[in-house]
Parts: sequence; structure tokens; C-alpha cells
Amino acid sequence: MSATTATIDDCRERALLLSCEGEALLGILSLPAAERPAPVLGVLIVVGGPQYRAGSHRQFTLLARRLAAAGFPALRFDYRGMGDSGGAARDFMDVTPDIDAGLQALQAEAGVPRCVVLGLCDAASAALMHWEQRRDPRVAALALLNPWTRSAASLARTQVKHYYLDRLRQREFWLKLLRGGVALQALRGLLGNMRQARQGSGAAAAVSGGSYQQRMARGWRDFPGPLLLLLSGRDYTAKEFLDNSDNDPAWQGLLRLDKVRRVDLAEADHTLSDPASEQRATASLLDWLQNLAAKKDGAS
Amino acid sequence: MTSTAPSPFQPFFLERPLGQRFCIRHAPQGRPRGRVLFIHALAEEMNKSRRMAALQSRALAAAGFAVLQIDLLGCGDSSGDFGDASWSAWLDDLQAASAWLRAHGPAATPLWLWGHRHGCLLASELLARLDEPAGLLFWQPPAAGKNLLQQFLRLKLAGQMAEGAGGSGAMGELKQALGAGETVDIAGYRLAPALAVGLEAAQLTPPATPMPALWFEVSPQAEAALPVTAAAAERWRAAGSAPTLSLVQGPAFWQTTEIEDAPALIEATTAALLSQVQDPVPA
Repeated sequence: MSATTATIDDCRERALLLSCEGEALLGILSLPAAERPAPVLGVLIVVGGPQYRAGSHRQFTLLARRLAAAGFPALRFDYRGMGDSGGAARDFMDVTPDIDAGLQALQAEAGVPRCVVLGLCDAASAALMHWEQRRDPRVAALALLNPWTRSAASLARTQVKHYYLDRLRQREFWLKLLRGGVALQALRGLLGNMRQARQGSGAAAAVSGGSYQQRMARGWRDFPGPLLLLLSGRDYTAKEFLDNSDNDPAWQGLLRLDKVRRVDLAEADHTLSDPASEQRATASLLDWLQNLAAKKDGAS
Repeated sequence: MTSTAPSPFQPFFLERPLGQRFCIRHAPQGRPRGRVLFIHALAEEMNKSRRMAALQSRALAAAGFAVLQIDLLGCGDSSGDFGDASWSAWLDDLQAASAWLRAHGPAATPLWLWGHRHGCLLASELLARLDEPAGLLFWQPPAAGKNLLQQFLRLKLAGQMAEGAGGSGAMGELKQALGAGETVDIAGYRLAPALAVGLEAAQLTPPATPMPALWFEVSPQAEAALPVTAAAAERWRAAGSAPTLSLVQGPAFWQTTEIEDAPALIEATTAALLSQVQDPVPA
């Protein structure tokens, strides 16, 4: 390991092969510089959406290095079937064993007693469902960025609220409508969406006895540790999450629990692609983690 | 947790100036038939095609090829920020990767440079720097780097336009900023002039001495090859390295919103490479 690793690096990095149900998963562990005191918390970065462990515009590569430089070992990895990992592709509702493998590797390789699980989008959902399923005491806290709660009803509701109503106010929309252009189709879409939005999310969930959004809500409610919620102001997924938490009875009151710290990033898009939002999010995360680590130190 | 089968691939870091480069070596299975250096696509195109690169690397390893994947400076899991990258630093990385592949064998087997998108441009420039011949395997080669740069800069303009800013002169302003030595932020990436200038000048240059060349294009419809690539292919033909052009049906996996596979491309690529390195006729 060279001393001049990168521009931001007070950290060392290692490639790991994790083991998950017989498949090899590729992970990259970022460790604090050797001279720092032994870390008390590690961060497991679970990468959501159609991204491998580096993340969109390498957001997780850079985040892991910043976390390590601040004293928090960070591991990011590919699920089975994603990126360089073996196995067949699967969706976020089916990755609990993959998260188990990540926790085990982070704990063993970085020597941290407990971990924070951080996820973006459907990986935030997967982190909640992992806890709901495992009640794993190794998980000290959850950091959730733009959690994914989409259902047909929530999508329709959010589209009605944030897209169609905007369009109805646009002069161009009405001109197109009068000319019989594409707006007629949009109007049909709006009516269909309003029908779907009115049906609500409760009915479908009641039939299945527990939608994934309800599993998330249960995880959120029962989780005993701190929860950091980061929401982007320019993101449909975040808007849907908020709409859902207003409308779904399972989510009533959950965002106002004492354990929740909520940070709204007004200018941010879904993946924090603008440098100012990315810096603000990282600063909020580090502040929250440092508080957490200080409490752990005091407790031990 | 169950025990893992012997790993089919070995990830490691290669020490380089400005830190380290993330690499994966796929060991050849059975009789060794060749060495392959993979050169990835640019920015988000690289992310989206990571899965396809892994699947193809494994297929080639199973067919007897040693494959080396390297993340260039400021890309993937390698050191640095994207804004630290320059065209010449990337060529240096690739030269070091070929030296590594030569040192680690299998010896006395042919070398192939396998490029994807902008990786094809780097491959054609790298060839002149190597002290051994190499075949060229291209996935969706662009005719020239300036088209790719234009596409990349447009991501910024699309973002600005969505917010009501960025008029018709915006592309010119971006290029002017780069020309004045400024780094610009594009869709979460910092783009330095040293990279933009190299990319803009890059051409799909034919090899100085004739080399085998296999070009693949992927299209959702089985239609004729794009005219831009046809013109580049003509230049290569004139220079004595007539490329074998293949059109394969599949999604544009380096650009799709979700991760998509193009199994027909993997099959065709492996078959084409194998056909180039058939066992010699016994004496």
C-alpha cells in the first residue's frame, strides 16, 4: 500500500471476497490510516438500484474513503448477481443473506464490534427489511438515503401531485390539448392515475398480509437504534417516500420518532450528483456517526 | 454461512503513481490460448457494463484465456478522483497492465486488447506503445473521441435545461472553460481539461502493421452497421487491418436504465476469439 494512495486518502483499501450461500461476492474495504485509534463502528454500504459497488458517479467509492479517513471503516460490495459477484441477479427484497455476509466480513476484517448499515434507494429498503427479518444485534444504527417505497398506488399519487398538476398549470399543455396533440394521452394518464391513487395502498397490503413497505415500516418502528434519514429535494423517490408515510397507516408517526434524525437536502437529486449536496450529506452523516461513536465510547 | 468454492477470479491492487489501480485477474482454465486486457468504457457507461464485462471475462477464462480487468486512475475502485484523470495517465496505466499481463502469463500466447466504447480508442493508441503485437477486440467502437466527449458534455446541458438554464451557447461555454484549463462538473464527475483534450483528439487509429481486428456492434434490431463505424472500418481496411464486423442482437447495456445482459454478444465474442487461436495443425 502506497502512502500516496489518492487525493482524499487518509485510508487504506483492500479487496475482499465475501462468501454468501456458496457464491463469492466482491467487496472493497476502506480502513482508517494505521495510526488512528481502534474504530468502534464500521459502516456497511449497501448499494441500491442498478449500480455496482462504486455507485453512480463513484459516490460510494468516495464516501467510503471519507468515512475511513474520519475513522470509520467502510465496506461496500456487490450483491449476488451484480457487478463482479457470482450468482444470479436478484432484487432488493431478496438480499438479506448478502447483507449478512457484508456484516460478517466488515466485523471480522475491520475488527469493529458493531456496524451502521447505510443504503440508498431500494438498498435503504433492503436494510430495513434485513433488520426486520434478522433483528441482528450487530446493527447499531441505520442511515437511509431516499428510501424506495414505490407501489402502483404511491407512484400514481405522486404523479398526480407533482407532475400532472404542474402540467395542468402550463399554457403549452392546454394548447397541445386543443390541437389534439400528445396532451390528450397525458390527460388519460392523469385520470387513470387518479383512479389508482384513490384505491390507496392499504387494500393490496391487506390481501398479502405484509407488503414490502409494511415490512420496512415494522423494521423502522421496532429498530432500537438511531435512524438517519436523508431526503433529496429534487427526487421523485424521496417525494414518494414522504407521500407514502403520510398516506399508509403502517407509517403513521414513524418519521417523528425520537430516534430519527431527518436531513432535507433541498437542492439534491437522487444520487447527490451536485458537489454541494454531496458535501452536505457527507457532513451530516459524519456528524451523526461521530455522535454515535462518542456515545459508544462513553458506554463502554 | 457456507464455505466458498475456489475463487474463479482474483481481485488485487496494482501499485502505480498516484496510488493504486483495482484489477481482477481471471485465470485461464484448461489449455492456455491467449491473454486479454480489458479496457472499460467511460464514466456511467463503465458502471452499467460492469456485469457484462464480468460475464465475458469469465466466459473467456473458461475458454482458456487469461483476462485482466483494470480500473483506470479515478475510475471504479482505483485511487484518485475522476478529476485527477488524464488521457496520458490512462495510457500509462494500460501500459503497466499489459506489462503485468506479460509477466504473469501464460507466456507464448497471443495478446488481445479488448476495448468497450471509449476503451476501443485507448486500445488503438496503446498498441503503438507495446513491444509485442496484439489483436484488437472492440465492443461498440465509437468513430472518434469527440463524439463521446460531446455526449458526456450534453449530460450537463440536459441537467441545466431541465432547470430552465443553459441556452444554445452552453456547449461552447463548457468547451471554452475546458480550453481555459478549468475543470468542469458533469453529472457528478469532475472532468479535467487533460482528459477532455485527449478524448476529443482520440481517433480509432488503424495499427501501423496489420493486426487481427474483431469489431462487434450490438443493436436491439438486427440492422446494418452504423455508417460512422463503416467509415472507420474502411480506413482500417486501407491500412491492412481489415476488421471483421459482427452485428449482434441485444440491448445497449452500457446505457440502459436497468442492468441488462446481452448473452448473444458473449457467445459471439468467445467464439470469434477462439476461432482466431485455433490449435496449429499437427506437423
